Amino acid sequence: MKTDFDFVIIGSGAGGAPIAHEMAKAGKTVLVLEKGPFIRPQSQTPNGRSSFKRDELISDGAEKRLMLPGLTNTGVSFFSSHIEPDLNDEPHIYQSPDGSDRATIEGYTAQVVGGGTQHYGGVSLRYTPLDFRLQSFNANRPSLPGDPNDDVKRNARDWPISYDDLEPYYCKAEKLVGLNGEQTNQQKPFSDPNTYQPPLTPNPISQYAFKGMQALGASLNSSNPVRPYRTPLAVITRDHEPSNRKVTEPEAAKTSYVNRYGDPLEFKSNTWVSLLSPVRDLANFEIRCNCIVTRLQSSGSKVDRVYYLDPGGSERYVTGKIVVVACSAIESVRLLKLSAKLDQNFDHRVNQNDLLGKYFLTNSFGGASALVPGRFDKSHSLDADWATDCCAVQSFLDSHRLWAGGAIYNNTSDQALPLSLLRTHFAEDLDSLWDGFIADTGLRAQGLIDFLDQQFGRSLSVSFMANQLPQKSNRIELHPRITDKWNRPVAYIIKNWHPHDDYLMDTFAEQCGQVLKLGAGGDPTFQFLGQGSVKDSPVRIANHILGGARFGNDRSDSVLDKNCRVWDFDNLYVTDGAFMPSSGGANPTNTIEANSFRVADHLHSVV
Amino acid sequence: MNNLSFVPDSQYVLDFCTKYLARANTDARHAFTDDAKGTLAGTNCEAWRFPIVDTYGGGAATANDPANFQLYNQVTFVYRESSPVRSVGVIGTFNNLYEPEPLSRVNFGDEQTPFWAVTFAILKRQVHRYRFVVDGVIQNDPINPQTLTLPTGKIWSRFFTEECAENLVLEDWEQDILLRLVEQMAPFRTTDGQRFLDQFYNYLDYSAKTTTFEHAYRFDESVGEVAFIDNILAREEHHRLTDYKICISLINQVLRQRNPVEEPALISKEIYNALYNEMAANHVDGWDTSKYQSPLFFLNLLRRHACTGAFSHPKYGGNAAGAGWAFLEERYQDPQTGASVFNWRDAIEQPLGRSKEYLG
Repeated sequence: MKTDFDFVIIGSGAGGAPIAHEMAKAGKTVLVLEKGPFIRPQSQTPNGRSSFKRDELISDGAEKRLMLPGLTNTGVSFFSSHIEPDLNDEPHIYQSPDGSDRATIEGYTAQVVGGGTQHYGGVSLRYTPLDFRLQSFNANRPSLPGDPNDDVKRNARDWPISYDDLEPYYCKAEKLVGLNGEQTNQQKPFSDPNTYQPPLTPNPISQYAFKGMQALGASLNSSNPVRPYRTPLAVITRDHEPSNRKVTEPEAAKTSYVNRYGDPLEFKSNTWVSLLSPVRDLANFEIRCNCIVTRLQSSGSKVDRVYYLDPGGSERYVTGKIVVVACSAIESVRLLKLSAKLDQNFDHRVNQNDLLGKYFLTNSFGGASALVPGRFDKSHSLDADWATDCCAVQSFLDSHRLWAGGAIYNNTSDQALPLSLLRTHFAEDLDSLWDGFIADTGLRAQGLIDFLDQQFGRSLSVSFMANQLPQKSNRIELHPRITDKWNRPVAYIIKNWHPHDDYLMDTFAEQCGQVLKLGAGGDPTFQFLGQGSVKDSPVRIANHILGGARFGNDRSDSVLDKNCRVWDFDNLYVTDGAFMPSSGGANPTNTIEANSFRVADHLHSVV
Repeated sequence: MNNLSFVPDSQYVLDFCTKYLARANTDARHAFTDDAKGTLAGTNCEAWRFPIVDTYGGGAATANDPANFQLYNQVTFVYRESSPVRSVGVIGTFNNLYEPEPLSRVNFGDEQTPFWAVTFAILKRQVHRYRFVVDGVIQNDPINPQTLTLPTGKIWSRFFTEECAENLVLEDWEQDILLRLVEQMAPFRTTDGQRFLDQFYNYLDYSAKTTTFEHAYRFDESVGEVAFIDNILAREEHHRLTDYKICISLINQVLRQRNPVEEPALISKEIYNALYNEMAANHVDGWDTSKYQSPLFFLNLLRRHACTGAFSHPKYGGNAAGAGWAFLEERYQDPQTGASVFNWRDAIEQPLGRSKEYLG
């Protein structure tokens, strides 16, 4: 097998695929190493059948039990997807605030060609210009609730690039990946009016969210209200020329088998169908799936070998003039730390300061839910219909004394299918599926019918996705005891919320609650259920795993330079969410992709 | 090659092998019960996936009419060598029993892997036994934990295809008791549910009826939750079979104490209802806690399985002909237009659903 390449890219998801796409088109030799399987849509398989299925037991399958000894949740049941790693083989260990360790499904992105973009709901928002300069924005503001020691001022960092620097790459990513949505009313400038395909008609249940968002915008600023817009989604609604995908029946894109499901019909724009499949037949492009990279070996300022295990478990290596690590923030940090353990020169260079793994981030998130009057077919919907930036603008941050803002959108496809409705009943996270149903022994026979009568086609939720305050103590390490099935130490996640995060999440949950209450329009049959956030559940990560190798202009304050190159290596880049110094007030995929296109532009000049 | 077999796509096979079978660690990380310790099933992840039973989309010479693809599953046998071997074959009841069908080596690019594979088109709703022939030596599949013991006492490897309605691990009397318990849980024993099921099965057209009822012979006042449970205990959740065996036996004892005259499967709904409530309160008079400590734990296991069986894809053995989904489809309507709010058929493959594009 060929061993020498211009580019070796570790990971085929949002961080890796844009660079692979650009470099392959530029004629460079590119190898993508992907840990997961090569699950393709129907149109690309030998027998026209995809291993992505519309099957509720594929997203959260049969019961398994956690057998790793010595954890606080040893022995518990868990239910995971066919493309999530097995918890007994490749766990993430999370340290609870009380110091105890538990294994968790939270924080994995899908391990498959396309990475997390196979499983995501596809919400593809941009960050706001303010998200890029939260340090300077907060520099002269009065102290904020929950932050008597001015942690915001000490820990917030401006990105080394501005919104304007990234904006052309947002346009590029949106057009090449294939999104539908609306620009109007977004509080972010667009230089190209044609980055989105037109949205489909919203699910009628979303009318309540739309009315509520409109009313919330007006109540926050009556003279200049921020209005809702159709949520940008990575789902094509028209023929998509860059990836040669055809859409004959756009409404067929609406399915509740979307969030946590790969799409056998390639409506959902994942990085395989959008970016890698279009270059797959080029002689200078190759992807090797079921290959896990185990370590990087260095010589001086170069990474000179990338070691991986082939699908049978035999060790092999390749070389790349440029090596790009993009296998999700937690696993990328882990790979760099594992490499450092085995290679003194690598250790010396990647740990030129003490920041690798530090300032790990996710999004602050939560929301509110209600049962609406009437019933709606939620099984024919996309993941979100309406969004608003009314809580991302400076006037909102000032009036509510917040360090940063976030986006609010309504979820349309959640709990649309019967098993998802039952197994997420009072579930707190992916680790507690079925727990609420099991605890509620009244859910049987007529009691079960009553429950379905109350819930089916009636549940509406509104979510927020906001910034998390960076803290150095939130970090990724190697676990001292637990190893994976290859006997390598697993990732150890140590994370908690800051008191200002708690305040921010309460504030945002209240806005989401307001959206639903205002959306009810006084209808007494509209049943508000409640609002909340993940503030009491630090393990919750929403699979938005960010930071741990932040980029910056000061080598003593960052792991990567502004082009995402590890400071003391000439040819080592990290381009998944690990580069982010702050988590942004929105789902991160679109920003990871845009940044990778930006890094690709830089790399054109290097090789 | 046999007319129903073919060499599978290497990439397809590797997509199942690496995650589940490739490893350096040999701890019993996947031994959820003591008897799985020391076996490959306890070492490998989700060993029940082998042989791989999947949707059939052509490939075999005599199953080449797309109109009939839905009658078959694509079953791929995988052998992993631990030291180099020269040949691997498979014999089984889906073929001429004593003619080994060769497995081909699975390659990664131009390199060999330790995996061998062959694929067959095999009809749905079947149970088969098989063995590998490795360098001329007959052996059971070392990965697949399912076995079948013949009347002669000989043990073979076993697998079953989708929508299987044959008894796999539960006896008739055990299933009869389970059916009565499941009626306490799923929504179909209510008056509305009963009326729906009567109509649903009566209004199937003739061809659907013959295939559905062949498969649905066990369905009385349920949509096949017990068949689902039998399927999942035979394969994905085999580690829960002991819970069922012990608890059904305990329940049988309790019911016979309460009504010494009638068979437990025939006694009144009221007695089952009382039993459910006692299990939910985790105190059942007459329950031997030295044999199984928590009746509530078993009840909750059964509730999860019953509801999953009612509403998961029919290929798993329950939700026969989509009856569980159809119940929701009929029951829940837009109050203004009267149209159903669960048009599940649009997303699901034909002939069960009506998706024009999705093939299952």
